[in-house]
Amino acid sequence: MNRWLDRLITLLLAALIGWGGWSTLHWLIHGADWSVVTTNLPLYAVGSFPADQRWRPLVWMVGLVLLTVLTLLGPKRIGWRGALPLLWIAMAPIGLWLLVGGLGLLPVGTRDWGGLTLTLLLTAGSGMLALPLGVLLALGRRSALPVLRWSSTAYIELMRAVPLIAVLFFGQLLIPLFLPPGLEINRVLRAVVAFALFAAAYIAEDVRGGLQAIPPTQREAAEVLGLSPLQSLQLVVLPQALRIALPSLTNQAVGLLQNTSLMALLGLVELLGISRSLLANPAFIGRYLEVYLWLAAVYWLCCTAMALLARHLEVQLDPVRSNR
Amino acid sequence: MTVAIRATDLVKSYIPGVRALDGVSLDVTCGEVLVVMGPSGSGKSTLIRTFNGLEPLDGGELDVLGMRLDAAHEEHQVRAIRKRVGMVFQQFNLFPHLSILDNITLAPIKVQKRAKAAAEQRAIELLDQMGIREQARKFPAQLSGGQQQRVAIARALALDPEVMLFDEPTSALDPERVKEVLDAMRQLARGGMTMVVVTHELGFAREVADRVMFMDQGQVVEISDPETFFSNAKEERSRKFLNQMQH
Repeated sequence: MNRWLDRLITLLLAALIGWGGWSTLHWLIHGADWSVVTTNLPLYAVGSFPADQRWRPLVWMVGLVLLTVLTLLGPKRIGWRGALPLLWIAMAPIGLWLLVGGLGLLPVGTRDWGGLTLTLLLTAGSGMLALPLGVLLALGRRSALPVLRWSSTAYIELMRAVPLIAVLFFGQLLIPLFLPPGLEINRVLRAVVAFALFAAAYIAEDVRGGLQAIPPTQREAAEVLGLSPLQSLQLVVLPQALRIALPSLTNQAVGLLQNTSLMALLGLVELLGISRSLLANPAFIGRYLEVYLWLAAVYWLCCTAMALLARHLEVQLDPVRSNR
Repeated sequence: MTVAIRATDLVKSYIPGVRALDGVSLDVTCGEVLVVMGPSGSGKSTLIRTFNGLEPLDGGELDVLGMRLDAAHEEHQVRAIRKRVGMVFQQFNLFPHLSILDNITLAPIKVQKRAKAAAEQRAIELLDQMGIREQARKFPAQLSGGQQQRVAIARALALDPEVMLFDEPTSALDPERVKEVLDAMRQLARGGMTMVVVTHELGFAREVADRVMFMDQGQVVEISDPETFFSNAKEERSRKFLNQMQH
């Protein structure tokens, strides 16, 4: 009796999934009009970057893709693998130079930055600022000095109690009001700083979790060997704590990438912003489904690449596994 | 005979009113092996942890290799002592993220500013001495407890200490791993190292110790040569403890 019921349910589910898959496929191929995506690929990639200079952000992104592939699939146990972390870090200043210009390149204003380039730049920039800040906050929260401990705790709790969008509005709209007239901080920079200030509070809690997992005997062992408190932190405690915090930090990085889409509400034309302005164009009116599906695919691709890289880093940093 | 460690009237209490150390005085002479025994909670671990400043004192004073340490000591005084006094813990406390070689060379390179090549060469010598030279490139988690403890001894020796403190070095080991660690310590004692060893290993105490100190409730009950202590202990409390140890 039960077996027949099981078979019936299985059949029904299979039919439902089949029907859903078929109609989706049918729509994807016949129903959808992908011209809104195909004709605007450069816009999605680099925004309104001057056409003759588009190669600059493209070079940067191709570099990122190559580096990702090299890191994940490149041959193991070869000398240049040691240079990979340096190459990754170097991508930030190189990207900035390619976008800003100067030093032989034509300067390009930040209002012409956009698309995936801007999304990646916001993510990378705020992540690189937020990590050291988060580590300092986590250490501050565990400090023996009451003033340092209280102010770190207050900062973390305050930031976690405020929605990100409020922090971003504060960064974009309120900070300029407080600055003396004439002094203007760049819009993209304001966004990066606001993002970093917000993310640092969450990163601090992840790092604190890692710090708490290190038994106090590790610090004792370091002290007994004559290491100074700073050396013990730098050489013994932090390397272990950050490794433990890595999975949660990956989570934060993926969240950061997705949250950059909030900048569209503030007028930055990153990936979501550029899509919204395309949808406002009469030529592409009503093409919501195509555009948002395309966006979902791009975000998914970026997040998956980040998750894979993080997983790779975890394996690399696991001493026992990488030693085998 | 020169004195390596002189303790005068040491007092330490974790909880107000309860003294973990209650007026402990003793001398450790250079080249001597002093074994400290006593029931758990008797203050023996606390005592040797005061010798390198891991436990700050509440009273009394210490003279470690001519350096003074008391309740009002400063961080730099403690660090000067730690550079000349090695310590081995019950739980090994190796750094899990560093290879065996890096565990041993970390302090010589970072604290004593020795050249990397020289520090590594010395580390290999010490590992050889401990009988685990082939483990140099592995990580702590890949070694047995006995091997890890021998690495910990090598790590402490890498700073060329004049005194070695052992805080129950075999208590966390599987029984069949105890001997290899005790052998390494025997070898060290034969080489003339000044050692203070907190342990429950009666055989080691009988064979290697120059003197045995028995502690109870934060006080020194007696200090005797091992022969007297094991066959004819002066104090009732020592005899009772030994009786329990031998079932």
